[in-house]
Amino acid sequence: MESSLWRKRIEGAVRAIGRQLCMMLVAIMIVMGFLAVSGYSPFIVWEGLGRAFTRDLAGTIRWAAPMILSGVAICIPFKAQVYNLGVDGQIYLGAIAATAVALALPSDGSLAGLILVFAAAALAGAAFAMIPAILNLYCNTDIVVTTLLLNFVGEYLTEFMAAEVMRDPEKLTQVNASRTLPESLWLPKLAAFGNSSANVGIYIALVIALFVSFLFFKTTLGYEIKLVGSNAGFARYGGIRSSKVLLKAMALSGAVAGIIGAIEVTATQHRLVAAFNPDIGFDGIVVALLANNNPLGVLISGFFFGGLKNSGNVMERVTEVPNIVTQIIMAIIILTISANVTVRRRKRKKEALSK
Amino acid sequence: MAFAIELLNITKRFPGVIANNDVSVHVEECEIHGLLGENGAGKSTIMNILYGMSRPDEGIVRLYGKEVEFHSPMDAIQQGIGMVHQHFKLMPDETVLRNIILGWTPKKGLSIDEKKAMEEIGVIMEQYGLKVNLKAKIHQLSVGEKQRVEIIKALYRKVKILILDEPTAVLTPAETDALLETMQRLKKQGCTIIFITHKLREVLAVTDHVTVMRKGVVTGTGLTSEMNVGKLSKLIVGKEVSMEIPMKSYQPGKKVLEMKQVSTAMRPGRMPLKEISLEIHEGEIVGVAGVDGNGQSDLGEVIAGLIPAESGNILLDEEEITKSSIRERRQKGIAHVPEDRLKTGAAKDCTISENLILNCYDQAPFSRRMVMDHKKITRVSEELCEKYLVKTPDSTYTIGTLSGGNMQKVVVAREFSSSPRLLIAAQPTRGVDIGATQYIRTKIAELRDAGKGVLLISAELDEVMAMSDQIIVLYEGEIVARFKRGEADEYEIGEYMLGSKRQEVTYGE
Repeated sequence: MESSLWRKRIEGAVRAIGRQLCMMLVAIMIVMGFLAVSGYSPFIVWEGLGRAFTRDLAGTIRWAAPMILSGVAICIPFKAQVYNLGVDGQIYLGAIAATAVALALPSDGSLAGLILVFAAAALAGAAFAMIPAILNLYCNTDIVVTTLLLNFVGEYLTEFMAAEVMRDPEKLTQVNASRTLPESLWLPKLAAFGNSSANVGIYIALVIALFVSFLFFKTTLGYEIKLVGSNAGFARYGGIRSSKVLLKAMALSGAVAGIIGAIEVTATQHRLVAAFNPDIGFDGIVVALLANNNPLGVLISGFFFGGLKNSGNVMERVTEVPNIVTQIIMAIIILTISANVTVRRRKRKKEALSK
Repeated sequence: MAFAIELLNITKRFPGVIANNDVSVHVEECEIHGLLGENGAGKSTIMNILYGMSRPDEGIVRLYGKEVEFHSPMDAIQQGIGMVHQHFKLMPDETVLRNIILGWTPKKGLSIDEKKAMEEIGVIMEQYGLKVNLKAKIHQLSVGEKQRVEIIKALYRKVKILILDEPTAVLTPAETDALLETMQRLKKQGCTIIFITHKLREVLAVTDHVTVMRKGVVTGTGLTSEMNVGKLSKLIVGKEVSMEIPMKSYQPGKKVLEMKQVSTAMRPGRMPLKEISLEIHEGEIVGVAGVDGNGQSDLGEVIAGLIPAESGNILLDEEEITKSSIRERRQKGIAHVPEDRLKTGAAKDCTISENLILNCYDQAPFSRRMVMDHKKITRVSEELCEKYLVKTPDSTYTIGTLSGGNMQKVVVAREFSSSPRLLIAAQPTRGVDIGATQYIRTKIAELRDAGKGVLLISAELDEVMAMSDQIIVLYEGEIVARFKRGEADEYEIGEYMLGSKRQEVTYGE
């Protein structure tokens, strides 16, 4: 029986990956059509993607880490049918906390210091994500709306911190940014890629994605999250408090988002810069959707999206095709996914009716 | 006599199953034709084909000797076929009149000609002896009256053939008798009726011919006068079933559950409890009779802790549990088969084993320090599936793929295997076929014989009467009568169910 369980899981995984690849291909084809119509060479997309996964792999790895983590952050509450659209805000809060702790630490900080920085970021992200959860439990506000609106709070709070509170007084530039972090607290780069943007963040993303899949499939909390998501009435009848599960799921999601903020600060920016986050949280929604909400699938779709993001930059650099093309691809992927979902739902409805 | 309906060699396939395999049904003009079979036997499929809701893969449908092809229920209605579904399709906030004329509205210019409609419906009510107040709103009516509205609705559409899908499942005995009488009258007036039901007694009482289906094929058909209960149930189940449930003699032990003047809060669509006092002892089944919606739902849920008690006390083994959480009550030994399998009894996108471990997933040996042992869980689930006769290849299938009866067996397996002190069984056999019904009742009897207390809440009076050592009757959230086994017959209990009689019920003298 155990083997049949595994066979089913493997079959499911293969099917999911095939589905991902198909949808990406469809999206790329459509974008190629758009490019051809607008007078560009449609093969630029392939060129950009090709470079992103070969010569410019370092950039892809740099972007894959936040993409994967963002997908994971979306996955956790989504499994409980809760939509956390506030990952971007939680990333900002994580970044603020990471910077504050890093700047307060003695400059000869070692690994312990770095761990402290990440812990602070995770806590800040979690705390920020708890706000909409608590509001939902006690005031019955809609989580989608509150998480979404709190993104602005996160963004402008970061700007305020960077421009006023933590602003580097010695720098006279126009950029609103804090002092630079001591170099001992920079996240190490990947040695294999020399002096590039690829950093250890990808390992952190890998470990967290694996940890969350363990959480989903092997722990009691994962079971509770799944039950609350598939039938809250059933979970309640079994004595599971869905309010507790909601708080835990949102806190975990926020913590993962906070870690994204810490990675961005310690690995790439090395300081707190206003508006540093290019909507990573929203990309995470697509990443999670494409992976059918499976944290292992997120590893693949997140990596692909890292490549997409990177290839956009590459294309802009090499040709005159604007970066925005990557966003069109993402939008089309969302469309294909939702079309797929509705088709499946219709089919199921039809079957149910004819029964 | 000519045939009104001939369904000839109908085959209908769904992915993975053949719902109807070479099914032929002949219904004579002006007769009541019984259609019997377990859930999933293919009755609904064949009726959906007749009513134009789905189309057969093979086979033909003849109406009064003429071949017809329906593309939608509208076609069927136009040809004179009407269906009264088990779940009524009425708008609760509209008047009876408007519900009847919906879609077939007589018009005077742009406005509805209500007067003409009233007259036409009046004629129908006169002719068939069906009385309903046309000005009343649907939500003010009883279940029996709503059903009458559905029948009038069909007749108003000039229907000559009526399909009644399990019409008696929701009725009291008196209402059932009234319906059977109405059916006879409709027949005399020239209607042809197809009567789908689980209840053999009603089939034998009212039908002329009967067709029995099992697993997508017709297993028997013939004159009702040549049938009896034994013969029919053998055709339905495929083997002899004993309708008797073996039980030890009644020897109640200690008090397991005590309720003292428990009331619940008013909530929309629900009847609250008013100062309910109740005792359940070891080795005793207390049956709750009552028309649906008289507080049964609140009674089960307030004991299980799903809804709070507004006042009063609930004691389990002399211990106060009025304020305990659902989880605490479960750990103290309350098991609960909820009335709504799909909404509360199961998570249909989760696997069978995930559904089975709900009560114990966070305890050894299923999990240690939050990490679950899937090997152990799978093994125990397989054992439970085998022990409780759940028909499935293995326990990793999602529970939504099971039939209603099998799903209920999973719920029963979960709740019964937790070795409870008290079992609350709310509608344990609702929508479950004969085989599974018999099985579930036997299991409930086993629990009683093992010295557990059982509260059996059921809309099926037969079930309550056959199983219970004590029967209480709920009417508008109050206990209006209490009987020992055999003290009252179904008609007497029926009077209490309808509120026309009441006793003073007290406990502990």
